[in-house]
Amino acid sequence: MIEELFQIERESYRDSVIHRLDARVKILIAFAAIIALVAIPYSPMIYSVGAVFFVFFAVLWCCTRLSPVIYGKRLLAIVPLWGIIIFFQIFLKNRYYTDYHLVMSLPLGICIYAESIEFAFILLVKFVVCISFIILLSSTTKIHDLLEGAARLGLPAEFALALGMMIRYLFVFAYMYRKITETLRTKCFDAFDRHLPYRYRLKQLGYLIGTMFIRSYEQGERVYTSMLCRGYGRESFLFVRKKPLRWSEWVFLSLSFCYIILVPVVIGTTGVRLF
Amino acid sequence: MHIPDAFIPIWQGAIYWLLALVFVALALRWARNEMNEEKLPLVAVLAAGIFALQSFNLPVSMGTSGHLVGGALAAIILGSPFAAIFILTMVLIVQGVLFGDGGITTMGANIINMGVIGGFVGFYSFKGILRMTKSMPVSAFVAAWLACLVPALAAAFEMFFAGTFPLVAGLITMGVYHAVIGILEGLVTIAAIYLITSVRPDLVETGAIRGKEVGP
Repeated sequence: MIEELFQIERESYRDSVIHRLDARVKILIAFAAIIALVAIPYSPMIYSVGAVFFVFFAVLWCCTRLSPVIYGKRLLAIVPLWGIIIFFQIFLKNRYYTDYHLVMSLPLGICIYAESIEFAFILLVKFVVCISFIILLSSTTKIHDLLEGAARLGLPAEFALALGMMIRYLFVFAYMYRKITETLRTKCFDAFDRHLPYRYRLKQLGYLIGTMFIRSYEQGERVYTSMLCRGYGRESFLFVRKKPLRWSEWVFLSLSFCYIILVPVVIGTTGVRLF
Repeated sequence: MHIPDAFIPIWQGAIYWLLALVFVALALRWARNEMNEEKLPLVAVLAAGIFALQSFNLPVSMGTSGHLVGGALAAIILGSPFAAIFILTMVLIVQGVLFGDGGITTMGANIINMGVIGGFVGFYSFKGILRMTKSMPVSAFVAAWLACLVPALAAAFEMFFAGTFPLVAGLITMGVYHAVIGILEGLVTIAAIYLITSVRPDLVETGAIRGKEVGP
């Protein structure tokens, strides 16, 4: 995960209409879309809503001028683990259906039901579209802008200060992580090498993790000393300048909210199905 | 163990969020009251360190891997379960918002699992076992193992309540997988604490020694 940090930051420093939007607008739109998608019951209605939301995401992604390959790579990095759990849904019954229709019967009493397949697709659509909005948010917003946006939206000052410092040192640790893994490679150490004794491999990894822990402590001490030199005290908080949204951002936010709220309402009430 | 969006219905996610906010508020109050101003940067930098630690993949078996959660380690070293809540909340926010690891609506559940349950189980089992055995490696191992296993079982229960995974299958798969990863977490936690106590014993005095103080 930490290897992605540099790539995400690089993408967020590009320039586009979406990149230039205030972080609050992007946070609110992404969170609203996710909440709306999760709020929709586990029903086939999600196919239509998911498709319309994905079109909205795709339009925004096109405006970012980022390659679809970047989106694809990031999606592939996230989906596999939970994709397996979604896949296993096809073998399971759940409480959202009462009647099950057998599609296939496998050895060892394993059955695949039509309703289970439908439920797996419902989960997949919700999961992928939610993740897409997170990818859009993080690929187009600098980390510090995200933090400032969150602080302006009401994140507690103590958290904003601590998160600000944490984010600053994420990159330090990302470099440290890279150096340590390079060192391991130079020494031809591979934690997955079966020729090495298992105990030895774990011991080395334990020492590495301990080293990183100590380095983080020492880094924290240096941070504290340098902060004291700059006048840090108990009452210090992260200063976030007041910044009103531009009228164009208000318009975009309002239209996006209308879209996010109205699409599920219209599809739910009229029963229109795209699939 | 990071439950993503869509796997928990919105109303259940809201309940977990409310519960998590209570503990996050308690962790913030603890941070204000118990930590002096020099500890705040330390904890923030530690959170970045824990984030990096979670990037190390540990070999499990048959090509599978797992990573350290770090909740027990943070709670033991810093001497409070609230330290684990504080640190893991920040780590989960960054993981959820930047990397899509975990979700927005499910973040409350994830904070409860890894921060609250992991932190409390890790810290108090460490203290209790240390009091009984007076052995740091044994108590750290069991604490880290439990702090890995119990949150995973809690996640299985949450997904059962959500109706997205059956209870028995969830408990078996999550339980077995994290019981194995928990062994690695326990061994690595011992090694990490051993290294820290050897190289910087002054740091461990803030936490693990406080754990020893409760012993007879």
